[in-house]
Amino acid sequence: MITTATDPSLVEWVKSEAAPEGLEFRGLRENRVLVRVKPEDLPKLAERFVKNYNARMIHATGVDLQIAGIDVVYIFDFSKIKDRLVILLEANLNKENPQFPSVAKVTWQAEWAEKEMREFLGVEPVGTPDPRHQFLSFEWPNTPETGAALGAGKAFPKAETPEGKATEILLPLGVQPQVACSTMIPIGPYHPGVIEGQMVRLKVEGEQVVDADIKTGFHHRGIHRLIERRGYNKGVFLAERVCGICSGAHGLAYVTAVENLFEVEVPERALYIRTLVAELNRVHSHLLWLGVVADVIGWKTGFMLTWGLRERVMDIIEAITGNRVNYGIWRIGGLSKDVSNELATTSLKTILGMKEPLERLLLPEVGGHPVLKSRLIGVGHLSFAEAFDGGAVGPVARASNWKIDVRMDNPPHAMYDPKKISWEVITEEGCDTYARTVVRMREALVSIGIIAQCLEYLSKTSGEVRTNPKEIAAGSTAVGLNEAPRGELAYFIKSGDASTSEEKSNLPKCVRIRTPSYRNNALVPFMLIGSNLADVPVVMGSVDQCMACTDRFEVTDTRHDNIYTMTWDDLVALSKKRSVE
Amino acid sequence: MIMADGYFTLATILLILPVSLLLGVVYAYLFRKFVARLQWRVGPVLVMYSDLAPLLGTSRILQPLYDILKLFGKQTIIPQNARKNLFVSSPYLSLGFAILAVLFIPFPGMPLLSTNPYSLIIASYMIIGSIIFTILGPVASGSPWGVIGARREVELFLVTELGFVISLFSMAFARGTLSLYDFARGGWNFATLILAVFSGLLLFISMLGKLHIKPFDMSEAEAEIVAGPYTEYSAKLLGTYYLERVFMLYGLVAIFIAVYLPPLSSAIVWLPLYLAAAVVLVLFLSIVQNLNPRYRIVNALRWYTKLVIPLGILCFLIALAIRMVV
Amino acid sequence: MSSPIIKILLDILRNYSTPMTLKYPSTVEAGKKYSQIPEGLRGVPERSEDKCIGCRACYFVCSGRATSIYDNEDKRLVEIFLFRCTFCAHCQEACPEEAITMSKKFEVTASSRSDSAGFVRTNLEMLKCKNCGKPFLPKKFVKRANERLMEKINPLVKDVVAADFQKVADYCLDCRRARGVELDTHTKKHVWLEVG
Repeated sequence: MITTATDPSLVEWVKSEAAPEGLEFRGLRENRVLVRVKPEDLPKLAERFVKNYNARMIHATGVDLQIAGIDVVYIFDFSKIKDRLVILLEANLNKENPQFPSVAKVTWQAEWAEKEMREFLGVEPVGTPDPRHQFLSFEWPNTPETGAALGAGKAFPKAETPEGKATEILLPLGVQPQVACSTMIPIGPYHPGVIEGQMVRLKVEGEQVVDADIKTGFHHRGIHRLIERRGYNKGVFLAERVCGICSGAHGLAYVTAVENLFEVEVPERALYIRTLVAELNRVHSHLLWLGVVADVIGWKTGFMLTWGLRERVMDIIEAITGNRVNYGIWRIGGLSKDVSNELATTSLKTILGMKEPLERLLLPEVGGHPVLKSRLIGVGHLSFAEAFDGGAVGPVARASNWKIDVRMDNPPHAMYDPKKISWEVITEEGCDTYARTVVRMREALVSIGIIAQCLEYLSKTSGEVRTNPKEIAAGSTAVGLNEAPRGELAYFIKSGDASTSEEKSNLPKCVRIRTPSYRNNALVPFMLIGSNLADVPVVMGSVDQCMACTDRFEVTDTRHDNIYTMTWDDLVALSKKRSVE
Repeated sequence: MIMADGYFTLATILLILPVSLLLGVVYAYLFRKFVARLQWRVGPVLVMYSDLAPLLGTSRILQPLYDILKLFGKQTIIPQNARKNLFVSSPYLSLGFAILAVLFIPFPGMPLLSTNPYSLIIASYMIIGSIIFTILGPVASGSPWGVIGARREVELFLVTELGFVISLFSMAFARGTLSLYDFARGGWNFATLILAVFSGLLLFISMLGKLHIKPFDMSEAEAEIVAGPYTEYSAKLLGTYYLERVFMLYGLVAIFIAVYLPPLSSAIVWLPLYLAAAVVLVLFLSIVQNLNPRYRIVNALRWYTKLVIPLGILCFLIALAIRMVV
Repeated sequence: MSSPIIKILLDILRNYSTPMTLKYPSTVEAGKKYSQIPEGLRGVPERSEDKCIGCRACYFVCSGRATSIYDNEDKRLVEIFLFRCTFCAHCQEACPEEAITMSKKFEVTASSRSDSAGFVRTNLEMLKCKNCGKPFLPKKFVKRANERLMEKINPLVKDVVAADFQKVADYCLDCRRARGVELDTHTKKHVWLEVG
């Protein structure tokens, strides 16, 4: 397939109907349209998109352009309205007064993104409903005097210990410290029931959860900045390592985004292998998730049985790609390894042999177990309206009867064409945890069908799998979308300008990742209110969190009230010192 | 004769302590082994301090004992918020009650103190006492996890105790005796056989709750409340609690066999069959453990009352009928 | 007991005697330490000392910054620090001499960071400039560059280029530039040749 430029009629449609207030319209590759707007028009356009056209917001982010100001980008998904259309609204703010009216008032989906933009770029969305910090800790300094003027959170009350010393307590808004000690239960940052590190604060009365709040920000790694410094080729490996479980999906989304920056042709055999690897990733992720949910409700046998079957999938992955977790075969313009005909034949035999035990294990045995059903049915309800307004993605949205799937609406550079490989999108109507479980189980079975079809094609044909692009065009923008096992994954990449030295060194100007857990985690507090304490890990697990995907910026230590960054060598020296003592 | 009897009883009391510890450890190992095998895994691997090897030998069957001894070698941490006296003394009191309960249950060839005419009541009360101290200790620990775990333990205990009491006392009512030794020697007829089937089932279900076997281990749910009652316990206090669980396992299995499989606990010639019956019982416990997730406490209570109360009334009526007719 | 539970029980008992977990290392086949390593496994990169020419392509391409080049005196050391290696095989793809292969070894453990088991080291001898004495390129690099050049060059100018190469091969870049006219190796020479 060849990455094609956008149809001019689509650009015309955007100019005339969707966003006539725009100043400049540009068609990017693969049906993405970039519209430059004035900052004041952003909420008006967002409201029109969301209310009149029922579009979804994918992400909102920004780029710091030094003296040229700050560019704020809002990305909307129109793929249900017009053929695979994605509209990007860009607005330029100057550095002295980086203010613009907040879009989060219009649609709740923009809330986390705006909080993040305020913390890391210093822009000020005026009128945003929730002014607290998202990724930085609650007690990060807010005042302009200290110079670290990022954020407009309110100062928190300092509690007094019996010795009269003031200590800082992390508290959500509106809770008094004395009340917190007796009724607040912390789940996190370390808790055996929840694998990922985050803080969920629950207010309980007896066993009933009355209020919930979630705080992320414990997994910073600085991946955006690293990719911007190391370049496109090495960025493949960094993108893969954002997450361990959905590593294949990140690789495919990154490669799709970079290939959208310029015209490149990907051979057809490479597309089939890409689909094969992505679907194998999905099967192993869903089986892993099923085992984790079984473990959280206390059924260790379910955990062992599903992970035992998962091992056969991992063996196939290892034979095809060379590694179990971080595949390392994604390259820009194809793949690095080919699948030989014999390997495809043996893998096909293994997959078909696994199909029957899997069908027997998933829905009838694990899904039909009465105690499991009594723990999962009716728990963590999320209605269709809440999912739509909150911007849920992936199986969480599909279990609330909202049929969105990136593989059908906006396919990445892999073979998902329903004419060549037959598959379907699964939705359920239950809107609760049990529906999410059933959606994931049925998706795993659909994926096995896709894998079998790909392997059949690969075992009978041959061809090349790689083209070697040398130079990436300057000054272009791309959005790469993929359906990770957890939902929709978006990479937003801008390549270096022709006027700066970045073009010569072939580095991207900006790389932004928006993972599915970013959206689904924001909805967790809504699902937790009103449920039993025993159901909290179940609900959090049903959203299938991947905090590693969600936290991704650099951290600065402020414990001693001075700001410094630790380099790799400092950390190594620190860890050597600790292990010796 | 009475003097010799007294010395004999004292000797057997001293002998039962290591024997019950050993048998409890073997039952715990078999439980873990069956659970692992039914999960397509191999089972417990030998992990122990190498200094202890010459003393105790290296045998995988004693792995639960090595785990307990490892705990005794670690540093005990007592939280600042805990009420120190109750916190520290609860494990020892719990263990003491468990050992006292063991002394009143017969073993093949060793009647111990079960010849006492009220030994059934005393054994049940000792078991209750042991459980009470697994509730009081965590409450004194001052952490929210302990409090929630202890509350769940109380609710679970109230319900399992109902089934426990009804099953044992309906059999006592039918036989007309409260001494466990008479149970162990007693004979069968058709009516008591039917009663034994139903009340045996009731006792088995109550054992699930007392031994924290899924689906009734919500007081120790590690996914939700860290370690439940045992969260703030460490090192030798935790090791004492684990020892108490070993003795409790032995004690409940022994009571089950004494009451429902009578001739097996009386004379030493029945020892091989006694051990075989114990192993089969542990196998059934591990099958139930494997097949079920954990219930929420509310569901567990409902399930228990829907099942325990009708079954209990049935047992009681059969016992009444036996007593009136026979 | 409902039927899903019975089905689970039967499923479990089906595989009762063959556990899925194996002891490490797997003892499935006697005589072989690991019997389950697939063909395509990417393990520790191994560099063959004969083929490596010290061109530094692997250093520029390494994704994890694991490969480093140390030039001291007349030796060039190409070193892969295995604790940073991501086993991505970029170096294998970039090497022009195909000197790197990803072996099947995957146990990379050492008890300290300076243990030599955590490094893959290759030493190369550097060529010293005849004029100024500075080491500038590995000997094998120069030799191989000559061979590759001779394979692909236009036969019209082959002899002249071969002769020029012999003249300048032992000089470093600065000295070559300084002596270009003197040795008659300046680049405009070929223009004269083609016309004349």
